Amino acid sequence: MKRIICIGNRYLPEDAAGYEVYRFLSKRGLPNGVDLIDGGLAGLDLLQYLEGMERVVIIDSISGFGANGDIRMFSAVEVAKAADPCFDHAAGLPYLLSVLPEVCDGTVPEIWVLGIEGIPDMEAVRSAAAQALDAVRGETAKEVYGK
Amino acid sequence: MAGKRTINIPLNRVEGDLDISVEIEGGVVTDAWCSGTMYRGFEKILIGRGALDGLVITPRICGICSTAHLMCASLALDMIGEVTPPPDAVRVRNIALMTEKIQSDMRHGFLMFTADFVNPAYKECDLYEEAVERFEPFKGVAVIEVIKETKKILEIVAILGGQWPHSSFMVPGGVASIPNQNDLVKCRLLLKQYRNWYEQRILGCTIERWLEVKSVNDLDQWLETCDSHRESHLGFYIRYARLIGLDRIGMGHDTFISFGALEFPVGTSLPMNGNQPRLVSAGIKHNGTIDLFENEKVSEHVTYSWFDEVDGGSHPMDGKTEPYATGYEGHKYSWSKAPRYDDKPAETGPLAEQIVGNNPLFNDLLETYGASVFTRQLARLIRPATLMPSMKLWLTEIFPDCVFYIPPGEIINGEGFGLTQVARGALGHWVRIEDSKIAHYQIISPTTWNLSPRDANGIRGPAEEALRGTEIKDIDNPVELGHIIRSFDACLVCTVHAFSKDRKSRIRI
Repeated sequence: MKRIICIGNRYLPEDAAGYEVYRFLSKRGLPNGVDLIDGGLAGLDLLQYLEGMERVVIIDSISGFGANGDIRMFSAVEVAKAADPCFDHAAGLPYLLSVLPEVCDGTVPEIWVLGIEGIPDMEAVRSAAAQALDAVRGETAKEVYGK
Repeated sequence: MAGKRTINIPLNRVEGDLDISVEIEGGVVTDAWCSGTMYRGFEKILIGRGALDGLVITPRICGICSTAHLMCASLALDMIGEVTPPPDAVRVRNIALMTEKIQSDMRHGFLMFTADFVNPAYKECDLYEEAVERFEPFKGVAVIEVIKETKKILEIVAILGGQWPHSSFMVPGGVASIPNQNDLVKCRLLLKQYRNWYEQRILGCTIERWLEVKSVNDLDQWLETCDSHRESHLGFYIRYARLIGLDRIGMGHDTFISFGALEFPVGTSLPMNGNQPRLVSAGIKHNGTIDLFENEKVSEHVTYSWFDEVDGGSHPMDGKTEPYATGYEGHKYSWSKAPRYDDKPAETGPLAEQIVGNNPLFNDLLETYGASVFTRQLARLIRPATLMPSMKLWLTEIFPDCVFYIPPGEIINGEGFGLTQVARGALGHWVRIEDSKIAHYQIISPTTWNLSPRDANGIRGPAEEALRGTEIKDIDNPVELGHIIRSFDACLVCTVHAFSKDRKSRIRI
């Protein structure tokens, strides 16, 4: 089973890119064996939605990586490196990905994080959705690792 | 450290939007200012929206306490709609709120608070290596256990309410979802698993045995009589917290407030709590006496807050949220208002619940150590022991073929308020509806009580007062201040959680 999880706060435009992609994808149907979740602000509580998956693509807003609407793919390891060593109420994805190997029941899934800079326009949302579908099908892994 | 010096401490392990300034003289904190650095404006957003919209919007205030806000929004609308939810709806609401609390208490306790136990300041302590083994971020035994064990318990809210967080299943008159027998069995199983872990690993004994601890003397005996008590995470907390002096820092104004929570459903077999109609008592403890809580005595001051000035305090049914920050106000320093009860600051949270509830152990702890960091945090760690037995009972008392909803009267015009005790303390929503629209909405959250700035009389908020007098051993690593602030489990918001390149640049303690 493969999964796309869109995260962020739909009420804050700077943090709503994930939700916008969720809305786009939820209207268009998904390939067999792939499901879609609006992860909202769940943070550490996303753990149970990663467990049991073969591959997961997480879509979130990013800040400071490029121009508005730019899209960038991160590996789980890259995101985990940004984790603050201490948990707080705002601890989100980096913290979860850091502890995942220790806390995950079963095999740790292959995880990619697709970041969208700032407040994306429809073209950027469409492009992010297409890249997310490629990634969840394993195309990103082939590109990066040649497998 | 001769002379006076002021340091500013962004506490990013609190929430990222709380700054603490302290003035230090001779190595001792002589004054403190807690500053909320973000304006959100939910109370403004709600104005003009549909009467029921608070049920959807206010749970979005917080990603951790969303059920808590839903409870208050529903209670306020129950009052306006002049409806009493049926007993099983009360049970469902209560169980959802309790679930959120018992999860939050463990996550705060062992992912946030005890992270400071491995601060390099304590490297020379006898128990430091064991503290690292238990509490080291990402790796500590307790850290990993808590993440694994707390991931499931919130499924109870999802089963009862359709989702967590940000559910809207509580409505005026009851709840909008009816659990079936399978749902209830699953909830009971989830609770049982969580309780087993809590008893075995956190307490090192059964909840019934823990509840026999009724004095400091009992506590010391409990610690020494059995290896499983001593070696439990709670047992280690007690030993280590005393070793590093947490029983000697962090005393505030010694005034405690609880709005009360968890109304007894009609017909429950749970024994009543004296004359209190709720499991968690409402009241005020000040100058050694516990008084009944009176809603009329709540007010909010804005003299030191970036809001339009009013004289003295305003009751939340009259108060406004009009941001005013030109940069030239001088004395104003926080986006948090200053809630007061009878014009006095008051501390809220798990310790306040125990004190207002007249718990003998915490009365004795208060007498022995004062409202120290040690006492405050102990109240949080043992709170699940006070809630889980009632959760279990109420789960067995729910019958799917009972009534879960009574239609309220039309919600066209009226005023109401919803008050409860949530993970971090007293939470209240005050609402006025006019022509079926929200005309007024004021919210006072627990952190607003605890981390409030000064009021119109210049009186410090509880955390500001708790910081005063603290001896700082190393001004470059003021870990003592972190202990104090985190013992209030401050939560200022859920804000932009974007993955940012700059996140690591923040200073922290």
